[in-house]
Formats: sequence, structure tokens, C-alpha cells
Amino acid sequence: MKHFSKPLTAMGLALALSAGALSPAMAETLKVAWSQDATGLDPHKQTAFSSIRFLELMYEPLVRLDADAAIAPALATDWAFNDEATELTLHLQADATFHDGTPVTSADVKATFERILDEETGASARANYTSITEIVTPDDKTVVFKLDGPNVPFLTALATLNAAIVPASAIEAGTLGTEVVGSGPFKFESWTPNSGAKLVANDGWAGGEVAIDGLDISVLPDETAILAALRSGQVDFALINDPFVATLIPQTPGLKLEKAPVLSYHVLQLNAERDAMTELKVRQAISCALDRQDILDTALLGEGAVTGPMTMAAYGNEVSDLFCYEQDLDKARALMSEAGFADGFSAEIMAATGEPPTAASEAQVIQSQLAEIGIDLKIQLLELNVYVDRWLAGDFDMAVALNGGKPDPFTMYNRYWMKEATFQKVAHYIDDDLDRLMTEGRVTTDPEARKEIFAELENKLVEASPWVWLYTGFSYAAAQEDVNGFVATPTGSLFALSDVTIDR
Amino acid sequence: MPYPLKRLLAFPLVMFGVSVFVFIAIRLVPGDAITAMLGTESGLLTPAQREALTAYFGLDQNIFVQFWRWLSGVVQGDFGISTTYGQPVLRVIFDHFSLTLELAVLSMLLSLVIGLPAGIYAATHKDRPGDLAVRVVAMLGQSTPGFVVGLLLIFSLSVFFGVLPQMGSFVPFWQDPLGNLSQMILPALTLGTAFAAAVIRVSRSAMLDILSEDYVRTARSKGLSRRRVIWRHALPNALIPLVTLSGVEFGYLLGGAVLVEQIFALPGLGRVVLDAIQQRDYALVQGTILFIAFNFMVVNLLVDLAYAALDPRIRFETK
Amino acid sequence: MSLFRDLLRHPSGRIGLIIVLVFLLAAIAGKAGLSPFDPLAQDRLARLQAPSASHLFGTDMFGRDVLSRLMVGVAQSFIVSFFSVAVATLAGTVLGLTAAWYGGLWDGIVMRLMDVLLAFPAILLALLIIAIMGPSGWTSILAIAIVYTPIFTRVVRGPALSLKRRDFVDAARSFGSSRRYIMSRHLALNLVAPLTVQITLALAWALITEAGLSFLGLGTQPPQASLGLMLADARNLMEMAPWLLLVPAVALSFAVLGFNLLGDALRDLLDPKTRRALA
Repeated sequence: MKHFSKPLTAMGLALALSAGALSPAMAETLKVAWSQDATGLDPHKQTAFSSIRFLELMYEPLVRLDADAAIAPALATDWAFNDEATELTLHLQADATFHDGTPVTSADVKATFERILDEETGASARANYTSITEIVTPDDKTVVFKLDGPNVPFLTALATLNAAIVPASAIEAGTLGTEVVGSGPFKFESWTPNSGAKLVANDGWAGGEVAIDGLDISVLPDETAILAALRSGQVDFALINDPFVATLIPQTPGLKLEKAPVLSYHVLQLNAERDAMTELKVRQAISCALDRQDILDTALLGEGAVTGPMTMAAYGNEVSDLFCYEQDLDKARALMSEAGFADGFSAEIMAATGEPPTAASEAQVIQSQLAEIGIDLKIQLLELNVYVDRWLAGDFDMAVALNGGKPDPFTMYNRYWMKEATFQKVAHYIDDDLDRLMTEGRVTTDPEARKEIFAELENKLVEASPWVWLYTGFSYAAAQEDVNGFVATPTGSLFALSDVTIDR
Repeated sequence: MPYPLKRLLAFPLVMFGVSVFVFIAIRLVPGDAITAMLGTESGLLTPAQREALTAYFGLDQNIFVQFWRWLSGVVQGDFGISTTYGQPVLRVIFDHFSLTLELAVLSMLLSLVIGLPAGIYAATHKDRPGDLAVRVVAMLGQSTPGFVVGLLLIFSLSVFFGVLPQMGSFVPFWQDPLGNLSQMILPALTLGTAFAAAVIRVSRSAMLDILSEDYVRTARSKGLSRRRVIWRHALPNALIPLVTLSGVEFGYLLGGAVLVEQIFALPGLGRVVLDAIQQRDYALVQGTILFIAFNFMVVNLLVDLAYAALDPRIRFETK
Repeated sequence: MSLFRDLLRHPSGRIGLIIVLVFLLAAIAGKAGLSPFDPLAQDRLARLQAPSASHLFGTDMFGRDVLSRLMVGVAQSFIVSFFSVAVATLAGTVLGLTAAWYGGLWDGIVMRLMDVLLAFPAILLALLIIAIMGPSGWTSILAIAIVYTPIFTRVVRGPALSLKRRDFVDAARSFGSSRRYIMSRHLALNLVAPLTVQITLALAWALITEAGLSFLGLGTQPPQASLGLMLADARNLMEMAPWLLLVPAVALSFAVLGFNLLGDALRDLLDPKTRRALA
């Protein structure tokens, strides 16, 4: 009887395994995991990126950005500025409908923007649309935005979830915070904050066919837990922020990793209105003393790219041509003595705990590098909310920050580098050149001329060194090998999930 | 006055103290719900928007009014609305409490199943190699913090077996008992390590005490078998200190194991509190901490009563 | 000194004492600058090196020597634990003694206050205190001290109450001794035994709590080292550089073990019941 025992155990094992192995094959639902959950459902009020990428699966703006950050059709099929760039006309997709079956009309677009512009709403991107003087709807499928002056970045500004078109009826009913009736590729089914959400494919989506049945999203705050779930096959697709976790994914058989450089940038913000840093040469010395690649290698395991202020591929200069982007300690020391700080000085550098996860490491490498030119830094790690309050008040000597990027340089920097900018007291520096270049960038329609303007702005920013731009990271999407069709984008959008197939 | 009655009378007083304490403490934490929700974008708010949000979060009222409203709600079973979940606080608590409860029960069971036999074995083999081994293991278990046990478990699994614990989307027990248990086993082990060590030590020493008592010796001399003496006479008495230990430990566990839930990504009560503090979700912080304190006190009261019932020699006044 | 001799004769006391002394020596050496490397010095060419002859416990992501960081890390963890237990002991003793002595309303207030603190889960209480005051070594000391004060208060109040009822206090009083003298002399003497045991065990708990807080980023701040912080840093690099996890994990367990063994031995030696049995 003894020789029977082996096959029997093998069979038992096979049975036990098949119970687990069968279930994923039957479901066409993509099991998604990410670490940060959405914070709300009202598309116009969300600012957290975690909310935006979630709601982008269900709501659509008029236009969106493709993988190269170029403007692509969304609810609008085509658009044109008038010659003075003061009027933008868009045509809506003929068969576009909301999830409740009602067609998307120009009246919905008008109601949407009226809601965004209404101060009572508290829309987060309201400032981007205040140049609208009138919205005209010649027919059901045509919308004309009349602007108070030439404003080319306006078109790019439409390509955001914060300007997603919502049904006029939902605005009237006041249900935008609790229900999701969009026009996008997925329909809302359920959401439990900090736990997960379920979405089903929208069969009636005008943008195309969705290959999967839906999305089953789990929130796993710990990214090593996400890695574990991917390895055990419990999750098909996951977003990863932590480069340490991301680098482990390609080493795991059966998993693949997509990455794209992002628009947001790691930066050392200096307070050019405080003590030694009021001196241009001191700020330049700091810039020269830092080895950006070395910080990147340590804090991010080299997972990123050194960058100047222009993080979008379409604008800016070669990084190697920028002022002092090669570490030069002799020059840094010379600049320090010229400024009268040959013996260095002491300052505090603030960073937020865990936001970004690299902040503490960056502060430590910067501390060690600046010690070389006699700058004695004291690191202050602050809880995120405390950090944000101090950042907004401009109350710091130096700050390690990860600031958000936009596809258009003007919309990205108009909050900092203009004389009337909202965050001037955070930027702590302005001069006539910066203000002039920004203003020119706003009104110039010729694409080539705009590129030159922003290339010059980048050089001015790096030379004046109000901040020291360091590098951009990657956005990562990890997936099982049989999940195909996802393309990572610089904005980190998940919209490409509508193209994904599971080939089991 | 009998001691349990005294404790019962102090109960509302202590709960009131906890309420005041948590209410003030969470408001002393710098930064408010608006910053927590909007981050740096909150700097772009117009004064009107800020005012509207302040009113929405109820931050514009006098602090005494806020406290009074909250407290009178609590007395009627209304703990307010969580601003992050958009749901009543009590519902959020109960949604996540089931997991914490399961974790607590599971880790207690594991510890007792492992610890009790080991303790009895050690006591009946006093000073022999087996006893020594059990004691060393217990001492090490007691000395290793839970989160370190968790990290080491994850590490050894990934290095020696190339797998990581199943931490995908969490499945509740009633949906998929096996899947749920496979997710809970490591966190339960992690949480249970220190407790199992304590069980070993307590059951061993209680057993030793009782085995040396006169009546046990008498029973032995009367010819009762060793096994019978241990199971029928010694064990029931050794259980008394275990009841106390378990009760106190259970009270702690119901508070949610913040670090272990964090490491294993379990959506239990501990993580809810942690998130709520981070998000400055005042109502949720107040509600959860009050709930945890309530559980803790109820369990302790029950332990006292059970202790009195099991051992009539206990005189409460001396405590 | 007879207690010390007894400790050396007690098996777990001996082992505990040796462990604690080894850690204490390492910590003092680290603080005195006797570590093999500067614990803060980064070396970009020596990142994440496995243990070797030059770096006995390897290097971390900044190329810092792990052994050197462990030495100052242990020192930091010990300092926080010692100070927090000292504060808790002092506060608990004062509160417990006065509560027992004056009784009545004061006793009620103190003990209910302690009940409130006890009803709070320890780590959440510490977390809230740190969130209010901002993380630092000193805040950790205060937070941990507040968490453990109720335990010391209870430990002191119990014996103090029973001693207060005893005749010798009355006798001393009738001989004209002052209230203050009675409290400091008779009561305190009879509290030393339970307090010593409690202090040793509390040191073990405090080490664990400090590590937990630092692990959450709420204790010791970088670039300084502490055991919890080293564990937190090791988390992401667990598979790439296992020594970063194992070294502080083992160190922490053994440090706690040392105090636990010592506490057990002291309990054996100081508890009158077991003492009689030993005699």
C-alpha cells in the first residue's frame, strides 16, 4: 500500500491548488491595487492626485493629454482658436452619453463651467478659467468659450479632471459629492474610502470598446503589501510610487513594470529672503555644490532623471547645458568666499515625513553634500500637515519638496514666478525678467516662439537659483505578464486602462 | 462598597475624562482638516471658500459649543459624521471593528493553544532540558516587539520560500473563510507571540505553585494517577491567573494593533485611528478612541468579576 | 551590595546583567566616539555593502557603517528609555504616595485620571502627544513617561495604602515624627522592592515603545540613529540588504531580553514570598 501514498498526496495538492487557480481565470475583472485612495467623489473639488486618477476612469474632460503630453480628443472631437486666441470653439462627440443614458450636450458643458466658476462651489481649478467671459452654445454639440484676452494655455487647462463635464441634472440635484454619473469608460459601482472600489465597464462609451468587464480596486497603503499581492497573483495591476518596491518587480518572474518620467519634480527650495541666501552667489554656490545625480542615486536608487525647471519634454534645454549642473566644489567655495561666507553658515532644512518617501533621504544627502562648503544644516522632519502650513506661510530656510508639474510651463509656474503670483511668498524670489517672460508665454500663440521663451525662463531660473531643481522620478505601473495594453504617461493617468486586455 | 460596584460608578467618570482628553488633544495637533484634505492647494482658496470649508468642518464654532454638541450626540448614540468617509462614525467603527475583533480572537486562540501546553509541559518537566528550552523561547518571544516579529516573519518567508504573505484585497471571514484565515494567520502570529510567551510563563509558574500545594500532594499520595492530578486538580486552579492575563490582553488587542495592522496592511481599527489623526478627522478620532477605551474598561470590569467568581479568596479592597 | 551578589548567583540575573552591561558598554563607547567609523559619515562609494572585515555589520543606503550606527542607536534608545522611566517613576511615586496619604478627594482625582490614561491604548496616547508637540527625542521621553506614569502610580499606591494602615506609622507619629519624615522614611523604604522590579520591566517596555515610535517616524530624527529608525529604513531594502533588518532587530530583542531577565531575577530576589522559600 505504501506506493499509493505519493500519487494520493499529489492529487490532494492538485485539488488544493486548483481551488485557488481557477478563480482568476473565470473573472475578466481587472484586480487593481494602489496605496493612496481617492479623498472624494466631486470631480471639480479634488486636488489629490489619487482622487483625480480614480475619477478620470469615470469622468471625461473636453480634451485630454496623450502619452506624449500632447492634446488629444476626449468629449470634444475637434477644436480651434480664433486668430487672436481670444475664442475657443469645440465640437462634442455626436454619440457621447452619460452613464444614465442621457446624451452629453453643450448645455451640460455650460452648466459644468458655470459651476466651476461659482465661488460657492469651491472648485479647485477655478483660477484657470476666470478668463472666460462668456460661454455660447450655438447648438447641442458646439461650445464656444469667449476669453478676456489671448490665452493659449487655456486649451491645455481644459485637459484636466477638474474640468470634467458633469450632467446639468446632477448639478441641480446636488449629488456630485455622493454619486458618479460621468461619460467615461467605466461606471461607478461602489467605493469604500481607504478600502477599495468597484467599477464596471461602460458598454455605451462613445470613446471605444472596453475589453475588460470592470475594475476591482483595493487600497493597500503599504506598497510592499502591493508587491506581495502581485507576487501571489491576487492583484493584476498596481500603481507603485516607491522606487524601492518598483525595482523589485522586474526581478519577479511573471510580473512586468511600465515606467514613465513624471512632470512633478524634486526640488530644494531656498528662502532667498532670509540671511545668507539673500546673496545670489550663496544660492549659486549651493547649486554648484550639489551632485544631483548622487542624490538621485541614493534617495531614489537612480530611478529618475536629473531635470531643470522644465520637466515636460516639449520645453526647456539640454540638462547638461544648465548652469552648474555638474558638481563643482571649487567654484562653490569660491562663490561662497566672494559672497563673504567663506566659513559657511547654519540653516534649517525642512522635509515632510513620508511625503515624498524620499524626503528624509534627500535631506540627509543634501546635508552631507553642503557640509563640504561649510553649510551646517539641521534637518527638521515635520508631519505633513505641519509642513504644508509652514510651506504655505513661506516659513523655512530651505525645504525639500516634491512639487507638481503641468504639461504647460505657464500653468505650471504661474503660481510662483510672477509678481502677483499666489505662491510668491512660498517662492521667495521674483525679478522683472521672470515676470516678463511668463507674461510673454501666456499671450504668444506661435509654438516655436513659446519654446524659446520658456527655454530662456529656464536658464534665468537656474542662474538666479531661487530654488535648486533636482530631478523627476518615474511613475510606475506593475502588472501580471498577461495584462496587456497599458501605457504609462507623464501625468500618471490611468485612462489607458480602458485599452487593457487580460490574455489568460 | 463592594469593589465592582465602585468600578461601575467610576465608569462614566472615566469615560467623560477620556472624552475631554481626546477632544482637546486632537485639537491641539497643529494643522486642520482643510490642510489635510487639500494639501498645498489650500493656499489657493479664496477667503469665501475657506470660510465655507471651515463651516463645513464645523471649525467655526466655539469650542465649548462643539464639545457640548458632540457629547450630547454621543450620549444618544450619535458619534457624528466622519469627514473622510462621509459616513456616520459608528458605522466606520463597526465596519473595521470586525477585523480587529477577529485578529484579537485569533491571536488569543493561537497563543493559548501554543502557550498552555508548553507551560504545563515545562512545569511538569521542571529544570529538565525541555523546561529550559521552553523558557528560553518564551523569554525571547516576550522580548521581541510585535512589529519586529512581523518584519522578521515577512523577511523569512520572502527569503526562504520566495513568497510574501497574502496581503491582497482583504476578504472578510464570512465571504471566504479560508482566504481570510490565510491572510490573518501571520498578523495573528505576530500579535500572539508576546502573549503566547506570557501564557507559557504564567501557566508554568501557576502550575508549579499548585503542584507544590498540600492537597495535590495528598491526592498523589492517595494513589491518584499523575495525569489525573494534573488535569482534574492542578489545571483548573492554574487557569485563574490565565483568565486575568487573557482578559487584560484582550482589552489591549481590541484597541487595534496599530503597528501590526500597518505592516500587514490590514484595515482594522488601529489603522482607522492613525489615518483619522493624519486627516484631522476630529469626529472619527474622538469616536474611535472613546470606543476603544470603552471596550478596554468593559473587558477589565468583566475580568475583575470573573476573577472574583473563580477565586472567592480575592478581597477587592486590597487592590 | 548583597543584592548585586545575589543577582550574580541567580542564573537569569547573571545573563541579564551581562547582556545589559554589554549593551551599555557599546552605547557608552559609541557616545564617546569610539565606534569604528563616524556614525554620520556618508560614503558614496560604499553604499549597501554586505558585512565584511572593514564593515562588520555592513553599510546602509548612505554608505554609513551599520555597527557604528548601532552603537549610537543603542545609546539613543537607552537614553530615551532611561529618562522616560525616570520621569514616570518620579511622577508615579509622587502621585501614588500623595494619593495614598491624603486619600479622599485627591486620591479620587489622581486615580480616575490614571484610569483615563490607562484606558487609552499606549501607542495611540504617545502618538497624540507627539503629534501635538512635534517629534524629537525629548518628546518621545515625555510621551513614554506619560504612558507609564499610571502604572507606577498604581504600583506605589497599593503598598503605600497598606503601610499607612499599619501600626508603626501611628507609632512613629505618636513619637512626634513629622508627616514628611514618616512618608519619606518608612513608606519609601518599603516601596523600594516593588519599584525596582517595576522599573526594570518598564525599561524593557520603554525600549519597545521607543523603537515603535521611531519606526513610525515619530521618535528619533535622522540623521541620528536609533534602533526603530534603523528598522524603518531597512524595510524597503529587506531583500536587497537583509543585514540592515537583522542587525537592529536582533540588537533590540536582546536589549529587551536583558532587562526582562534582570527584572525576573529581581522579582525572585526581592519578593518576600520567594525570598522565604529560598532561605
